[in-house]
Order: sequence, then C-alpha cells, then structure tokens
Amino acid sequence: MGAVTTTTSVAPSAPETTGTARTSGRSPRDRALRASRWVPVVAVALYVTVPVLCSVAYAVLPGGSFSLAAYSVIGDDASLAAAAGRTLAITGATIVTLVVTLVPAVVAVHLWAPRLRPLLEILCTLPLVVPPIAIAAGVVALLRAGAQQGRGSLGNQISQFLQSPDLPLILVGTYVVLCLPFTFRSIDAGLRTIPLKAMVEGSTILGSSIWGTIFRVVIPNIRGSMLFSVFFATALCFGEFSLAATLSQQTIPVWLYDVSSHDFRASIAIAVLLNLTTWALLFVATLSADRFSPAARAARAEKQLQKTTTKALAS
Amino acid sequence: MNASATSAETTTSRASQDAGATSEVTPSGTTTPGVTTPGGTEPGDSPASNEVTLTGVSKSFGPTPVLRELDLRISAGELVTVLGPSGCGKTTALRILAGFERPTSGRVLVGGRDLTGVPPNRRGIGMVFQAYSLFPNMTVQDNVEYGLRVRKVRRERRRATAAEMLELCGLGEFALRYPHQLSGGQQQRVALARALATQPEVLLLDEPLSALDAIVRTQIREEIRRLQQQLGITTMFVTHDQEEALAIADRVAVLNAGVIEQIDTPQTVYRRPAGAFVARFVGTVSELGAEPSFTHGALPAQAPGPGLDTVFVRPEDLTLLPEEEGRCTVVSQIYTGERTVVRAETPDGVTVTSSVSAAEAAELVPGTRVSPHLLSAPALRLPAGAGQAAA
Repeated sequence: MGAVTTTTSVAPSAPETTGTARTSGRSPRDRALRASRWVPVVAVALYVTVPVLCSVAYAVLPGGSFSLAAYSVIGDDASLAAAAGRTLAITGATIVTLVVTLVPAVVAVHLWAPRLRPLLEILCTLPLVVPPIAIAAGVVALLRAGAQQGRGSLGNQISQFLQSPDLPLILVGTYVVLCLPFTFRSIDAGLRTIPLKAMVEGSTILGSSIWGTIFRVVIPNIRGSMLFSVFFATALCFGEFSLAATLSQQTIPVWLYDVSSHDFRASIAIAVLLNLTTWALLFVATLSADRFSPAARAARAEKQLQKTTTKALAS
Repeated sequence: MNASATSAETTTSRASQDAGATSEVTPSGTTTPGVTTPGGTEPGDSPASNEVTLTGVSKSFGPTPVLRELDLRISAGELVTVLGPSGCGKTTALRILAGFERPTSGRVLVGGRDLTGVPPNRRGIGMVFQAYSLFPNMTVQDNVEYGLRVRKVRRERRRATAAEMLELCGLGEFALRYPHQLSGGQQQRVALARALATQPEVLLLDEPLSALDAIVRTQIREEIRRLQQQLGITTMFVTHDQEEALAIADRVAVLNAGVIEQIDTPQTVYRRPAGAFVARFVGTVSELGAEPSFTHGALPAQAPGPGLDTVFVRPEDLTLLPEEEGRCTVVSQIYTGERTVVRAETPDGVTVTSSVSAAEAAELVPGTRVSPHLLSAPALRLPAGAGQAAA
C-alpha cells in the first residue's frame, strides 16, 4: 500500500523538477541517487506480486493456454459454498461482537477509568504473545471437558452448541480475542484524537443514552479506526487455519487444505480468488475511509456551496 | 415511581407560591408564537415549572471541599450569572445542575421536581459548553436536530424546528456546512441553537464566550440575552469575566471558595458589595483606611490599619485634585474612551484609582501630586474591628 502511494505522489513531480535547464547542472551521481530511491519500492513490489502472479498463472494457464476450468469447482463442489457461507457467517458475527464489546469498553475506560487503560491494553495484547496453536489446544481441552460431562448434560449441550457447524460460536469468540491486539490499539488511538468527553457530555445533555451516543457520535468520528478494525477482522476470519482445522470446522482455509490433496489446481484457483477478494476489500476500505472522512465530506459540501453560489451570482 | 410523582406535585404547588412572592425579580417571560414545542408539552407547564433551586448543595472531590452548603434559587425566566475566580466551584455547581456531577449532599430541584438522582439525559436541560462540543461528523442542521432525533421526533418536524432555530440564531445560510467550516462565534451560535432546539426548561451556559475574541463576545452575549428573554428560559450563566456577568444578568451570584458571597442585581453587587471579596472582585476599588469619624471630603490616602475603618471606593466615587502638598503621585493614565482611569500612589505604596473626564485627565499627567477627594459614599465601609478580619 505504501509502495503505491509513493509511486503516485513522486511520479508527477519528477518531470517538473528535471527540466532541461536544471538537469544540465546536475551530476550523474545525483541522478543515480535519485533513481536508487526506486530500488526498495521495486523490490517490495516484486516480492509481493511475483508469488501472486505465479499462482494466478498456475490457476488460469494450465498447460500454457488460458482456461477457467479450475473454477468449475465452484459449481461442482457443494462443500465450497457451505464453507464460504460458514466463513462469512463467522466473519459477520466476529465483526459485530468486536464492535459491540470493544468500542464501549474502550470508551468507558477513556471516560470513567483512565487508570484501567494500561490493564486493558495488556489484556488486549495477550493474544499476541500466546501462540494460536496453544489457544487452540486450550479451547479443545475446554470443549472436551464440557463434552465429557456425559450425553444430555448441560456441559455437553453447551459444548455442542458452541461447535454447531452452522455458526461455530467457539470460532467467533476466539477470533474476537485474536483481533483484540490490533483493533484495541486502533480504536484507542482513534478515541485519543477526538474530544471524547466533550462530545459525550454534549450528546448526553441533549437526551441521548450512552449507547446512542456511542453509535451516533463516537463511532462516526473514529471511522478510520472502525474501518481498520472491520478489515482486520475480515482478513483474520478469511485466513485463520490452525484453530478451525483443530476444531474440524470447515471454513474456507480448511476447505482449501482439504481440496489441495486431490485437486491442487482448484485449491490454488480459489486461493487466488480469496486473495483478490481481500485486496478488493482493502481497496474499498481505503477508498471509503477517504470518501467518508469528515474532511472529504466537508470539502464536497464546500464545493456544492460554491457551485450554488456561482449559480446564484450568475443569474 | 408513584411516590415520587405525588411528592413532585406537592412541591410544584409550593414552588408556584414561591414564584408569586418573588415575581418582582422575574422578567416577563414571553414565548415566541412561531416556535413549536417538539415532543409534546412537559407535565406541569405552570409559570413556575422551570424554577431552579439548589438547596444545601455540597460537593467534595476526595478530601477537598469545592462547594459548601450552596443555596441558589433562579426564578422562572430569570438569568443568573455565577461569577467567581477560577477554582471557586462555579463550574461544579453548573455541572451538578446538569447532572454530570452528583452532589455529596443537598438537592437539585427544577420546577419542584427533585432531579438530584436523575441522569443528565433525562433532565431536559439545555447546555452550551465552553469548547462548543459540536459533533464534527454532522452538518450544522444535523447538530441542531440531534436532540429531537434522540427524542424520536419525525423528520419533517425536526427539519422545521432546526430551520427555525438556525434562523433565530442568524445561521440560516449555514445549515449544510460542517462545524469546522465555521468561525468560533458561528460555532457557538450553533451550539446555542442546538441547546434551544429541544425547548429545554433550563439553559446552562458554561463560560460560553471565553474562547471568542472581544467583538464577537459582545455580539453573542447580547444575542444570548435576547433569545433568553424572548423564550423566557431560566438560565444559569457561569463566567469569570465580571464585565460579562454584570452586562447580561438579572442577578449576579458571586462565588468564592464554594460559598455564595452575594447574590443580587448587577447594580447592587457593584454599588453595594456585601463584603471585601465582592468589592475587590467585581469592578475596581481603592482600598483605604479612614478615621471612624470620616464621612466626606478629602480622603486620607493611607493603608487600612488598626483603629481605622476600611473603605472601598469605586473609581467614579472619588476624584483626584492636583495639590502641591498632595500625598499621592499620579503614576498612570488609561484612556478608555469616555473616561480616563487615573492611578495614583502614595510613597508607601497605597494605590488610589479614579475615573475622570478627558478634561480633568489633562491636568493629571503622570508625576502630578494629587490628593483624593470622596464624591459620594464609598461602596463599602467596614468598621475598625471587622475591617481587620476581612483583610
């Protein structure tokens, strides 16, 4: 992402500064230095794109000629649709849970218990230092303990309910926890940039409850943090393998792994599709973050105002 | 719930009697006919329904007392400014009335209803903050509509009320702008329109003009007063600026260290301060020692001391006469337009301040020897014993 922005911002300015009069006065060493700035950019671009391009080529160019045959698996294999549906459901539930629990918690800490903030920060960072496989082992042990209470017992029922293949809540809960280290930091930083207390008091005195205030005023004003959190949660849910595999929940990554054993090309084809989807999401998120930022909306309002004013003046 | 409703009824009837007794301080609260009441009428819309009473309100933050047994009554439709130095507890008093702070003891009543335990979002109070606190993600119009949106008022009605309020505050053309596209003064007008849009019973203003420059400050001050009188809304205005406090208020409450020193009309607070603190804090005074027998004429320019009365003299109540043997020397002149403020000092550092006309000022260039003469009774005179206690 950083590479892309640098390219666009530097490229237009280059012809201006390297006018004929100026270049004549510049030594070749200078020019070599200027060119060398592109080396890391190109290196990163190659590093990211080559494997993707290779997998694209492998997926759609079997035997050297273009073919989308590998994608017929979408229609042929019903288990893919099920896995995709399951992954989407998990993603949706994870995002909702994350927003509904984390945002109010961070707001509350900022407003009423600033001294608890370091504690919350440590708690939210913990998932980062515990390896996912250890979390998986812990979760499996917990579910097994529930299941071993015997058929029909409460523990068994809870264990079954959490692992229901329609919407495995155990994965939702764990993914929420895995998202915390990054989303907490993002939301925390977002809240620091706005006059939170003044906004909340202003909203409260106008009659709004704290929940209404959070959804009507706080969240719209930390839009960037929210978009990042949503995107991060989506990417994590689309890509997490070890936990889902350990709990034998067939999400998209697990499906890819299963399929790769008998139809490698199809698994790569779907992986490419998944990759592109994630990139598209990132692109949309970045674009909408700009488009819906207060500054951009204000600029549009200003432009419209100018237009109407010019029209009024002309007539 | 039932019990509190009945008690509210009885207190309302008592409050209305009280309001009748104090009707001379209540300005005629007229409501604009054009303004619609959103969200229906509040129960108990009697004339006294928006009288504000703080009784025995104390507040401590940890071991530090901020308010001590504060009693304050604001009649319906009255504007009371709460004036005091920073840290005197004036903002705390306002925040207790708004519901953002809970008093350690004491009660808060609005229109006879006990609001002490009621959260701020159910108090139906309008508030304007020092830092505007507009919502940056909403247009001016949406900001003003916010309170009505929370009350689930229908969209068209919200739009109409917001438009009306913006017109009333002279902001009609800015409805579709965002707060950061407006100047400070315009933002504060939006904040005012937003606070008034829900037709609150009570309006609280927390140093609303502190962040504005002088000209805008005066403009908005007058606008607040005009709207307040037009809508007949009970208002508490907190400020540390004494000129502002005197200019806008029906009554001024001077607060010091959590205690109300005096609450009275601006004229009385200025002309007849209740104590040394009020005399010093509101306006300018020359603080001098005088023989107990002294009544008028040449003022002895001496510091208050044992056996002497302390007199607090306003600049317009004394004049400085040029005299060869005068004990004071003019040290500065401050030209304020109509009047000139002349400051003179004795060799031992007692300062005398007088406000004189331009013609008189011409004779009082710095360096002139002068003696002060009293023109009318001093604002405050503390007899010998008491004077020491106050100083």
